[in-house]
Amino acid sequence: MTTFDQPRPLRQSMSWLHTWSGLLLGWLLFAIFVTGTLSYFRNEITFWMQPELHRAQAVPPEQIAFVRALALLEREAPGAQQWTLTLPNPRNPTLGLGWQAAMGGERQAAPGAARERPGRSEARGERGASAPDSAAERRPFPADASRERPGRGEARGEDGARRESPWRGSGEGGAFAPDSAERRSFPADAARERPGRGEARGAGNASAPQETRPQGSGAGAQAQRQGRGGGGGGGGRGARIVLDPVSGDRLEGRATAGGNFLYRFHFELYGMDRIWGRWIVGIATVFMFVALVSGVIVHRRIFKDFFTFRSGKGKRSWLDAHNASSVLSLPFHLIITFSGLVLFGHMMIPTAVQSAYQGDNEAYYGAMRAPMASAVSQASGERAPLITGLAALIAEAENTWGDGKRVGSVVITHPGDRNAVIELRQMNFPGLTGGRNIPSLRFSGVTGEPLGASAPREQSIVQAVGSVLNLLHRGFFATPAPRWLLFLSGVGGALMIASGLVMWTIARARKTSEAARTHWGHRLVEVLNIAAIAGLMAAIAIHFWANRLIPAGLSARADWEIHAFFIAWAVMLVHAALRRSKAAWVEQLACAGVLFALLPLLNAASGGLALPGSIARGTGLLVGFDLCALVSGAGLLFAAYKVHRHVPRVRLASSPSRGEEPDPDPGPETEPGMPLPETMEKAA
Amino acid sequence: MKTQARLIASPSVRHRINVGVRTGLAAFGGYGLALLGAAAFAAGLPFDFRPDAVSLAIMLAFVLQLVAIIWVFAAATVTRAVLGLAVPAALFGLWLLLLRQ
Repeated sequence: MTTFDQPRPLRQSMSWLHTWSGLLLGWLLFAIFVTGTLSYFRNEITFWMQPELHRAQAVPPEQIAFVRALALLEREAPGAQQWTLTLPNPRNPTLGLGWQAAMGGERQAAPGAARERPGRSEARGERGASAPDSAAERRPFPADASRERPGRGEARGEDGARRESPWRGSGEGGAFAPDSAERRSFPADAARERPGRGEARGAGNASAPQETRPQGSGAGAQAQRQGRGGGGGGGGRGARIVLDPVSGDRLEGRATAGGNFLYRFHFELYGMDRIWGRWIVGIATVFMFVALVSGVIVHRRIFKDFFTFRSGKGKRSWLDAHNASSVLSLPFHLIITFSGLVLFGHMMIPTAVQSAYQGDNEAYYGAMRAPMASAVSQASGERAPLITGLAALIAEAENTWGDGKRVGSVVITHPGDRNAVIELRQMNFPGLTGGRNIPSLRFSGVTGEPLGASAPREQSIVQAVGSVLNLLHRGFFATPAPRWLLFLSGVGGALMIASGLVMWTIARARKTSEAARTHWGHRLVEVLNIAAIAGLMAAIAIHFWANRLIPAGLSARADWEIHAFFIAWAVMLVHAALRRSKAAWVEQLACAGVLFALLPLLNAASGGLALPGSIARGTGLLVGFDLCALVSGAGLLFAAYKVHRHVPRVRLASSPSRGEEPDPDPGPETEPGMPLPETMEKAA
Repeated sequence: MKTQARLIASPSVRHRINVGVRTGLAAFGGYGLALLGAAAFAAGLPFDFRPDAVSLAIMLAFVLQLVAIIWVFAAATVTRAVLGLAVPAALFGLWLLLLRQ
């Protein structure tokens, strides 16, 4: 094994590794980064996609029409085990009602129900984890509703098994991001398991302090009735009833794929078994991890180069852009990649549980649940009217907490029973390592007397690390500033990947006159670059346009929003393959730019609250969406303009000879003065 | 084309075999080592609360996989790359064996 085994210099090897681990799945990684970054604002996106809700105005608790809301719950969900009222918050100004049915959920339980139990408790935790986020979290994703058919038992079961996340043990409950929605879609299991399954029941209740049952049981059923699950996300018309908080009038938002489509796409893709999707994303994440670390190793002068930007110098400029976008948010890239892997941990590294528990998964989940177990009030069976003065209780709780802390949600267990309990949960997330410890106060639902506060749970150091990773990945923060920081870092990551991909072609470009004879591999990369970068942007814009152009009453319209996205993306791919690359870049970037820039107008024209109105009313999330659309549109148009104006420098002589060096990519640090090819330039 | 001509040349073929071997090692060796390491850590790390060991084992497994992949490509020769995977794998195997007894 010696003839082929010549020692190679470290940096050359790392450069090769960086180039190819980055390129091979780079297009997928770009899509994951973009959709994942948008997911930080998926509540806002979903809200924007339901113009019917735009005029709701967040009001303080004393102005909320609780009496009407409770009457509505009594009518819609009598005998439910639990009702949840999500109060208006900065990320959703509506009042959300949800409930968990008592026994015999109407929904069809998927096979593998038994295995769902751990998932359920997780769902609960997650919801608890962040009140502001909870609104979207608890709505079933449309795809779930339609995918979960008995025929898919296998996948489902497996899902159930994989669903367990390390975070769960960490008291972090819901940390397994990916699952939030689907966990929720199994309420019926909960109901079914109950009879004759005391054990399961206990487990289900394990996290008593914050017990919220997966909602949307009735909801799920309702969702099914609406065709495709009522459109998840804000769309969760199925999962929840949405009220105008002041009038108590029911708001009928259109069914929409919402921000949840982008969210779910970023970790399980679409149109395939979700286990497959997750494995593909998981493997791509490993590539990302390797590309990041090998990139750092290659990059000797990492800090010096960070302050260097040489514009208009072809590959050099691309390299500088790549370096700057990478280094600027390197900690973010590392954390987001690693935490993404850990979120897939139980799926990708099954040997950990197998080895620690000799293959007995149940023992593992039992052990994880144990510390969370605590008593849950049982229904007495005696009827007693529920008090309706929620506003007074909320005022009391907010006084008790002080410090400007607000109630985020009201959870009523056993409504109408003498043992009814009203639990008020804090809106703001308690802190980075607080795990699932959302402070809450409990009151008797009949007399209103206080029953005490939730007991804070201790976290071990491992659990705390898990919590931090999870929080950072998912952006569970009370205030918008850190979420914006994560969002911008995500944009930086997308630019890093895009510039890296473009650099690959630029580094290999032949003389322009030889363009016709470009190597097929280079042409393939170029076409994929155009479709994956510019084309994806256009497809996302089309997704938003479809949201407004598809009639609100059309059945399966949420599906069509998604189809529009993929059809647009496919068209972009064909377009990129047919056009010369420069023209394709310009056209697709311009197309995406125009579509994004016009979104605020479309919003105003199709029933949404227009930008001046949303500014005047202080509906920050709509202002944010419209402004982001404008900025993205402007940025894309600027990029299109730069590419259009770019005149390729004619290359000097022929391509530099690199002797026998097998690696055509000299790595980020080429010899200065080397003639660099330049076919196109696009503002990143 | 020049690139193609270079690829056919014999140093390039050697290079391709080399890279192919390393890629296979990285993909399967890296993942295998991660699985093995996770098994050993999850069972062997001294935690009172076993799920903590499982969580930590999973995190360490991904780091292990990363280091293994980097190593496979960083090692000067394929022989060293193989050894770099085989030695820790043997140690983890031994640890697991001891834990089982």
